[in-house]
Amino acid sequence: MRGPLRIWSWPWVLLYLRHEVLALPGRTAILLFVIFLLLFPLFTQDPYWLRVLTLTAIFALYAASWDLLSGYTGQVSLGHAFFFGLAGYASAILGRELGLPPWATIPLGVLLAALVGVLVGLPSLRVKGPYLSLITLAFPMITLGFIFLFPRLTGGEFGLSGLPRLGQSRLEEYYIVIFIFLVSFLILWKLGGSRIGLVFHAIREDETAVRMAGINTVRYKLLAFGVSAFFAGLAGGLYAHFLRIAGPDSLSLFNSIQPIVWSVFGGLATIYGPVAGTFLLFPLLDFLRVVEEVRMAAFAFLILLLMRFLPQGLVLAVLERLEEECPRCKVRNAFTRRRCRACGVDLHLNPSAEFRR
Amino acid sequence: MVLAGVLVNGLVLSGIYGMLALGFALTYGVARVLNLAHTAFYMVAAYTLFFLVGRVGFVEAAFLATFVVVALALCAYRLLLEPLKQHESTVLIVTIALALLLQELLLLLFGGQFRSVPALLPGFVEVLGVRVAQQALLALGFAAGVLLATWLLIKGTRLGLRIRAAAQEQEAAELVGISLSGAGYWAVGLGGLTAALAGLAVAPLANLEPHMWSPSLLVVLAAVVLGGLGSLPGALLGASVLAFAEVLVVNLVPGGSFLRTTVALLVMVIVLLLKPEGLFGTSFVEER
Amino acid sequence: MNKWGVLVSLVLLSSSAWAQTIRIGVLGPMAYLQGRHTWYGATLAAEEINRAGGIQLNRRSYRIELVRVDTNEMVSVPDAATAVERAIVAQRIDFLIGGFRSEAVLAMTEVAAEYRKIFLTTGSAAVGLTAGRVDQNYGRYKYIFRVSPYKATDIIQTTLLQLGEVIQTLRQQLNIPQPKVALLVERVLAWDPVIEPASRIISAPPPQGYGAEVVGVWRPSAVATDLTSELTAIQRAGAQVIFTLLSGPAGTAFGREWGRLKIPAATVGANVDAQQGTWLEATSNLGNYVATINFIAPDIAITPKTIPFVVNFRTRFREIPIYTASGTYDALYILADALKRANSLEADAVIEALETTDYVGVGGRYVFDKLHDVKWGPGYVTGIGVQWVDGRMVTFWPRNWRVGNQLVGYAGTRPYQLPPWVVEAWRR
Repeated sequence: MRGPLRIWSWPWVLLYLRHEVLALPGRTAILLFVIFLLLFPLFTQDPYWLRVLTLTAIFALYAASWDLLSGYTGQVSLGHAFFFGLAGYASAILGRELGLPPWATIPLGVLLAALVGVLVGLPSLRVKGPYLSLITLAFPMITLGFIFLFPRLTGGEFGLSGLPRLGQSRLEEYYIVIFIFLVSFLILWKLGGSRIGLVFHAIREDETAVRMAGINTVRYKLLAFGVSAFFAGLAGGLYAHFLRIAGPDSLSLFNSIQPIVWSVFGGLATIYGPVAGTFLLFPLLDFLRVVEEVRMAAFAFLILLLMRFLPQGLVLAVLERLEEECPRCKVRNAFTRRRCRACGVDLHLNPSAEFRR
Repeated sequence: MVLAGVLVNGLVLSGIYGMLALGFALTYGVARVLNLAHTAFYMVAAYTLFFLVGRVGFVEAAFLATFVVVALALCAYRLLLEPLKQHESTVLIVTIALALLLQELLLLLFGGQFRSVPALLPGFVEVLGVRVAQQALLALGFAAGVLLATWLLIKGTRLGLRIRAAAQEQEAAELVGISLSGAGYWAVGLGGLTAALAGLAVAPLANLEPHMWSPSLLVVLAAVVLGGLGSLPGALLGASVLAFAEVLVVNLVPGGSFLRTTVALLVMVIVLLLKPEGLFGTSFVEER
Repeated sequence: MNKWGVLVSLVLLSSSAWAQTIRIGVLGPMAYLQGRHTWYGATLAAEEINRAGGIQLNRRSYRIELVRVDTNEMVSVPDAATAVERAIVAQRIDFLIGGFRSEAVLAMTEVAAEYRKIFLTTGSAAVGLTAGRVDQNYGRYKYIFRVSPYKATDIIQTTLLQLGEVIQTLRQQLNIPQPKVALLVERVLAWDPVIEPASRIISAPPPQGYGAEVVGVWRPSAVATDLTSELTAIQRAGAQVIFTLLSGPAGTAFGREWGRLKIPAATVGANVDAQQGTWLEATSNLGNYVATINFIAPDIAITPKTIPFVVNFRTRFREIPIYTASGTYDALYILADALKRANSLEADAVIEALETTDYVGVGGRYVFDKLHDVKWGPGYVTGIGVQWVDGRMVTFWPRNWRVGNQLVGYAGTRPYQLPPWVVEAWRR
């Protein structure tokens, strides 16, 4: 060692990579995933593949936002399409009425979604459990009614088309979306792992206990709704401008169910679970186009099978195999290790020995 | 005149919605399973009936359709739902995936175009000067009948007692020797039975196509939640409230009849905000 | 040259005389009747054209190869757009035909315009498919042509003419001087502009209008599946005619409950579900006497090609073709004709040839206007009005359609039939 180690310097980065990231298969996978996304266009710039990946990234963000609310705090939102579609429509209408470009209308749409998210969260203070879920289910349906009530503003069944693009070329759009997705993913992940995330977990488990600990759960629940709606709106705004259409499909029941399927498939309350779930399932659905007749049936069957045998989610199930927790210091280790990488304790003591703490 | 139309149409629609909501409320009330594939089962019953009606007599077709749906419900419970009872969100996904799978299978077998199931009672009658399909009155009668039968079963028989006990307090019921899974099977089977009955009663009035389970599910969920989860009379009352809300919209604002579902859902939201456990529901206590 | 050289040259020479292929993507929701019929119509046309030697271009003959693209548009619009992109990029198709659901076709044509592929749409009547695009951004959207059905404004015009016919029938047969008309129009943007002008035409005294009375306007949702409340209200309002504009599942629900409750009012207008051969099956046999605009029917010859096409179709596929079948069939022939005249596969040349199309097909005589829509009117494409009578689709319009000083009609049309319960209810 040549001197004190500076954080964020190259030696620090390399050491961090070696000991914190590459030591664990899960984190290595995430690193490879990020590199793959960033370098994919070097392999092919086929617009079809870029389109599929861009849409997957948008939907992965959408699923992650749902997980933050429903997986972490347990307030299951069955109408997340409300925030997704609302932001898309808001961005489209603002662009049309005020002539603003997407980098102005999308943030405005997202802020609107976040505000509406907090408003939707207000009933959660009185209404709980499945009742709350049903209220969330109703919101996108009610909005659809309003869309048909003001068809000249919203384009009715056709939606608003010809929206301005996110970038000049498919490649540019790809990178813009990937970049926004990765940054949002990072934010959501950090949030989930922070003290706030801890409170979210606790609220799901036993809200009364959390209140007894002196924490204002109202603030945290509303925060969850707001942040979740923020990122769902972000996904919705990007979606509308990528497809160049903001239509009633974005508010459909099917669109509300999608993030739920991807999140549960990947693993709830993890953020990386929904992302993995989306990146696995969405391209698969497109890939299954080769057997178009049975595409949806095969997809549904696959989900049934996987959920039956891996109810905690595919990603969590795989992680459980690949990683384990040290019994003494709780640090995670790769399954190949004999001794913990932090405290050196033997990881595979016989069961009876483990109970002696 | 408008009042007569609202009353009659509202009552009839309540029967139709109530018929569907009852079965769902049964399965949840007893087995604590939010079976989102319930309306898909109803759809399977309708399609089975449609398929068989040309080939065998109507009564045989009805029995077979009922048998198929009950068998389907029990199988689904055994293979998918019972093993997953602890993971609530997974159950949600699994039932939706099941509904999707059924939809796609029916789409493959029968195609997307509309079919129809023959009505048990053809034609119409005039009630208070308003024309009503006789089949719709039958659906209303069925709904009332099913409610009565279920009430008698649950309150009046030993089986009902076992089911009630299992629903109320699982551990104590097991201690007393009541088979939890048995109660669960009975509940799901009864739910399937009502879905099949709904197929007989309601399907002749609906467009038979592979996506029909989806709007029906929305109505059923809204009705059950509005009435209070776990309460059977609540489910019927919730169905009635939604039905009357819709019919009022159509009759008072003909140019706005496209808003009927929106208004019905708004009503549900308002009621829940005022009474968070639904009309007859009990407070949702975490069961651990 | 040695014998191998001769052999190789022979093979090379003959391969250049072998048919090259033109790949045409047939788009539609293939799990549904509309998509299936699109595919069937394309198949019939492609087989016939190939059997007759294919398309002759530049002294080469080209075989048509159809690529079936299931767009899944009924469920998801972005899915349809992705399917089209995949077809263009991965499956290398040269031309696109088909589409059904308007929202999806809007998105799909956007993709086609992006990739500069000619797209002949055969399923959507949405005005915005061409208006606001071909006229205002010709360079980008010149690739889009609409072969069938004609645009929504023409549909409205035609259905109003058919309404006039039915009102006349009521006047003559039942002695009702001022018939009462109920408007049952789906709440969709496409029909919104209709209500005002239609009401005016209906209530204006002849000869500008029909001299009838509008007793109410009901606007159900496009996805409504229960219209009993609307129907009983219409009945209580005393309507004698129901003018419908229904393109969604409400059409079947309407027909079934109207027939079951024997609402004493004749029907006319647009009811897309009633155009399908499975109508009676879908309505539990209660849909008799429902009338709708249509573009092809098994009983009359719109052109000399119509009946042979219908017979061929029914023999081969055992179903009555709907307009997506006849439209796609005609579209393929129109494309083949344009390719021959352009003598090239190059997009701009083909577009120019398409714009000067004058082709008599199964559905009428096709001439494109400046917006790439087909010209509407007698001698071009008029559409027809059909009614279900005794279990069959019978054409009732045009029969004695007065245009200027001519009477337009197709041979074999029969008069509109008032349902017996309507006659009984209003007999004076």
